[in-house]
Amino acid sequence: MATFVTEDRVLYAASSGAKAPLCRLYFCRHCLKIRSTNCVSHEVDSLYCPNCLENMPTNEASLKKYRCSNCFDCPTCCHTLSTRATTIPMPDRDQPGKIVPKKVYYLACGFCRWTSRDVGMKDQLVAGGGWQNQENPHDKRIFYLLDHFRQLAAKEKAEKEKKKYIRRRSHLHLSDKFGLSSVAARRRSGLLSVGSPSMKESEDVKIQDIEPNIASEDVDDQLDDSIFTQELDLSKVTNIKQRHANPDVQPMKTTDLYPKHKHLLIKCSQRCRECEHNLSKPDYNPHSIKFKIQLVALHHVPDLKMMSFPSLILNKESQVVLIVLNPLDTLVHMTLLPLEKEKDDWSTAKIVIPSCELLLSPRDDAADFDENTDQKQAFKDNTSVVVFRKANRLAFLIKVIPQSQDEEVKVAFQMKYDYRNLASALQQTEGKEPEMVWLQHSVFLNLGRLTPQS
Amino acid sequence: MPLFEGLSYGGEKTAVIFDIGVAFTKCGFAAENAPQFIIPTEVRKRKTGQLVNIHKCCSETPQDLRSVLVDFVHRLYFRQLLVNPKERRVVIVESMLTTTTHFRNTLADVLFKHYEVPSVVFAPGHLVCLFTLGVSTGLIMDVGYTETTVMPVFEGTAILKAWQALPLAGKAIHDYLEASLKESSSVEGGESGDKPISSFMDSIDESILEDIKVRCCFVTSHERATMYNANEVSTSPLEGPPAVRYPLKGDRVATISGKIRERTCEVLFEEDCEGRSLASLILDAILQSPIDMRRTLAENLVIIGGTSMLPGFNHRLRSELYAHLKQPPYSEKLSLPAFKFHKYPAKANYVAWLGGSMLGALETLASKSVTKEAYTLQPLIPDWCSLYVAEEKEKVVGATKKLEAGSRPLSSKKLSSSLSVDSSPRSSVSSAARAAARSIAGILSSASVDSNATPKSS
Repeated sequence: MATFVTEDRVLYAASSGAKAPLCRLYFCRHCLKIRSTNCVSHEVDSLYCPNCLENMPTNEASLKKYRCSNCFDCPTCCHTLSTRATTIPMPDRDQPGKIVPKKVYYLACGFCRWTSRDVGMKDQLVAGGGWQNQENPHDKRIFYLLDHFRQLAAKEKAEKEKKKYIRRRSHLHLSDKFGLSSVAARRRSGLLSVGSPSMKESEDVKIQDIEPNIASEDVDDQLDDSIFTQELDLSKVTNIKQRHANPDVQPMKTTDLYPKHKHLLIKCSQRCRECEHNLSKPDYNPHSIKFKIQLVALHHVPDLKMMSFPSLILNKESQVVLIVLNPLDTLVHMTLLPLEKEKDDWSTAKIVIPSCELLLSPRDDAADFDENTDQKQAFKDNTSVVVFRKANRLAFLIKVIPQSQDEEVKVAFQMKYDYRNLASALQQTEGKEPEMVWLQHSVFLNLGRLTPQS
Repeated sequence: MPLFEGLSYGGEKTAVIFDIGVAFTKCGFAAENAPQFIIPTEVRKRKTGQLVNIHKCCSETPQDLRSVLVDFVHRLYFRQLLVNPKERRVVIVESMLTTTTHFRNTLADVLFKHYEVPSVVFAPGHLVCLFTLGVSTGLIMDVGYTETTVMPVFEGTAILKAWQALPLAGKAIHDYLEASLKESSSVEGGESGDKPISSFMDSIDESILEDIKVRCCFVTSHERATMYNANEVSTSPLEGPPAVRYPLKGDRVATISGKIRERTCEVLFEEDCEGRSLASLILDAILQSPIDMRRTLAENLVIIGGTSMLPGFNHRLRSELYAHLKQPPYSEKLSLPAFKFHKYPAKANYVAWLGGSMLGALETLASKSVTKEAYTLQPLIPDWCSLYVAEEKEKVVGATKKLEAGSRPLSSKKLSSSLSVDSSPRSSVSSAARAAARSIAGILSSASVDSNATPKSS
């Protein structure tokens, strides 16, 4: 809980130098470095509809403009629309003249009470609906223009390639004096006979002149006189958000608002920029909140926390209790080291770091319930440093001497610990023991303001 | 012909098109007829958690602007377009006049280094919107949020010396609306009866102003405006449009008088102390173009930008143009038979985007873009006012410094008088750079002008 609430108190340095709380960092176990969100590359993993939680393959999604084909958004308030069923009397198809009740469906918004009947959309006979989409009135003209420009572009490209071709031919002429002309000529003729039909074709393609748009003296937005006399009903005029929700049409009146297909959401995966291994990959299924690969730093790097707000007095040594949590299932030997002066742009206070090694017992989910084990004896801790230990948690003391009156008290140090490198063991031959490596991370603490003196 | 389709383009995914405006960003895919989304150009700052407009961050340090842009582009790719940035080329539609070098360089850096896009092309918005018309000559006026810019384009080449700009656009309307609401509007409801709006609001939120502008205001006709101006002091004989009761937060209701509704947008057409308004911008641009182009330009007006979607805007602009033409100084210098307006196959606020979408759909996109490889070798984006040529590295390094100094006035508010400032650095660019500039214009024009598709070689 404290990890996510007081997240600006303890920061770790990522490989790029950015400082972030541990819960927002990744740990690449191939490079053995901490990665921040800026040093991973994000990728779209899978697309799904947030309403019906249905997966959509990328190709299909791009055809449907990244919108769900079944779910709709309310055009006035953007809430999801629901399908309502009702029965209306309708003339029977088999027996003319007879009127029978029939089930029909329409769309309604549960939030703002908008229904598809408001804009005169016909009720559908099937629940899935064959709801008509609004078409862009300029489709044809845009397609025509695009087609024309594509031809021009293709011609431009063909001409560029032709130039290259001619240059090569001129080199063949030069080689005449070496007596290769006949060979070259034969090859050329062969080339030409193969290449010429297509070449000719592209040369001969006559691109028709474009029909340019004709400008006219008329403008189509002359005000209607009624604007000066009639009361304006605000509820009938759309706001800018409603207009932008449908860029093709951008209706001015609420009576022209049509439902829009629901926009999809994505599941994102993260990849290390350096080694291109996945750091986080979600489960494909949109229902699942699990991950296939999840290398968040919280699971791999010892997590430091402040136990309480220390009392801090200017120029006096005060003790600060920190808790460190071992997320790994191995025994961790941790030592604290001072941060190099030149790298340190953070500290506003002096810090005295315990020189002894801290032993962190492995994580064991059952240990919390086991009250009998007295670990103190097992580890023979230095009692002047270690306050207490419980399961994979260890509380220890550091000493801080605040140096500045006005600023917040900030200290920094490095954390060195051993880590069992499983990734390299996987790559190498079987049976080999996983290699132990020493990792070093910079940690930045913000201890808060000085204790007010009464 | 469909013959060409898919020959060399099949394997590649369609490009993404961004038009990052000052107020709204348009984003979508190439060859589509409208953007997927029009969203506010805002992003939540990581440190403070506040929504900020990314253009307001331009004055901040490069790191700050970069982190804001990273977040914004992340939103565009992963919340809106839902595609992988690595797979698609990028077309950025920008205004030639308003984007600062600082902004576009940072944006290029973010796209290439952080998102690793294969290529980027910065397309000038004024030019590409002619793609949507199928013509190669036009006088384009972009009425956006902070500025209105006018750029004449003749046969696919922008006439740079004739550009005009004024800070008369959406923002000016908002400022005027806020002032007049504070001055005259009253609010009922709340604990005590009617009160002036200024009694409980120091400043009115921009989103409220925008909403009032969009839903209540309109651009009145030229006749009514002149009648208003004629009896400014005495009681106007004109019956104004009815007032609107506009609900504010809680149970408060503001009354927006007919005068405010009708006259707010007048700020665009009122002449300032130098006698400049939107209409005079167009006429000035025509006047500064070569004499043999003037008539053609006047008959090919293209009005784009979101603010021009206000009801009555184009009609008013047309009557203002004719009225100005009859008055000095234009009556002596200009003789134009008619002003003609183009109707584009789009809404005014995304015409430039649509042009970019057409550019992005062409096979020649690759040859016009700056590729990732080229950018890693030399992290510079060519600009019309600061072209970079590899051979003359040393020479240009000095020149670009000057150029940056020279290009700054472009984005400032005092655009009107900076013509001489901006033309001087351009003359210091080497001749090779100028040749390259011409070829860029040539490439863009060759696609829009009919069959002379041969690009000029540089």
